[in-house]
Amino acid sequence: MFNMVDLTDKKILITGASSGMGAETARLCSKLGAKIVMAARREEKLIEVEKTLEGSGHKYYVFDLSNVEQIEHFIKQIVSECGALDGFVHSAGIGSTRPLKLLKPNVLKAVMDVNYFSFVEIIRSITKRNCYNSGLSIVGISSIASQQGNQTKTAYSASKAAMDATVRCLAKELHRNKIRVNTVNPALINTDIYQEFLDNSGDSEDAKIIMSRQYMGLGEPIDVSNMIAYLLSDAAKFITGSNIVLDGGRLSS
Amino acid sequence: MTIEEKIELLAETMDIEESELQADTALADLDCWDSMTKLSVIVMFDDEFGKKITSTDIKEFVTVNDILNKME
Ligand SMILES: NC(=O)c1ccc[n+]([C@@H]2O[C@H](COP(=O)([O-])OP(=O)(O)OC[C@H]3O[C@@H](n4cnc5c(N)ncnc54)[C@H](OP(=O)(O)O)[C@@H]3O)[C@@H](O)[C@H]2O)c1
Repeated sequence: MFNMVDLTDKKILITGASSGMGAETARLCSKLGAKIVMAARREEKLIEVEKTLEGSGHKYYVFDLSNVEQIEHFIKQIVSECGALDGFVHSAGIGSTRPLKLLKPNVLKAVMDVNYFSFVEIIRSITKRNCYNSGLSIVGISSIASQQGNQTKTAYSASKAAMDATVRCLAKELHRNKIRVNTVNPALINTDIYQEFLDNSGDSEDAKIIMSRQYMGLGEPIDVSNMIAYLLSDAAKFITGSNIVLDGGRLSS
Repeated sequence: MTIEEKIELLAETMDIEESELQADTALADLDCWDSMTKLSVIVMFDDEFGKKITSTDIKEFVTVNDILNKME
């Protein structure tokens, strides 16, 4: 049978693969034939996820992306051990809910390090000669927070808006090398980050109001992974520089 | 941390005069006790005491004293 989203033997690096959308994307891509290279901090979670992957030849690395300076070396190690990459998904990210008066530079930087600086640094490192195969597809998990403002979400929203702007620039810069770069922009999805959002929302009324606008309800990780797998595949060869919204109707309501 | 230091920190967090924060003051009676202030208190516990408190903990705070007791 014809499979439009065929990822057979594509080597895909997924950061934040230890849980949530990263883990779901790893599972889905493995079902579609890809070899997965996972990176995150929690080894026990990575081992658990690895057990749920289909096929063989997957690998995981324990790495803290806050160490932005060490990313270049880290990518070199991955490429030398696993070979050149066909895809990169940046699912690593941290939520941040802080009123301005508690948003000191070190806090802002901590969010930017994981959500944004590491995204650019990984792209910079994997787009070097011999580190990727022609047709490389890069997908960052941004958020609808890049387009919508909310009190206390300054650091988070800015980090996601930075990702969106970056893919527009890099898509043009890298298309000569047959590299595509996109972000997906989910609304609320049922993962640990969503739980944390509920715990920290201070007043759970806020969460209720948001959910009433997201009229298709809470999204599941697979709703996002399906789009990521498509963007990673050659079926999406005409899509680059885009920020693709997956929001259960929220932005349009 | 002495009680005075705790009140100073809490007043700064809540953006309110220290004199308005008596131990038996009911939080519901403070104009500033809105979702932003509650959030600021959550973040303050994390930053200053390394404690993760949740929206449920916040709901259980009735007086200023309830917050002060948890600040350690
Ligand atoms: N859930 C939502 O409602 C929602 C909506 C829009 C966008 N997003 C975005 O979607 C992405 C995935 O989040 P999720 O919802 O799936 O939540 P999640 O389960 O908490 O996933 C976040 C992942 O990031 C990894 N990570 C965090 N800090 C890291 C660091 N310093 N170094 C390496 N890895 C790190 C975590 O792994 P370790 O802890 O093992 O390191 C974890 O695997 C995030 O970028 C998030 O902003 C989420």
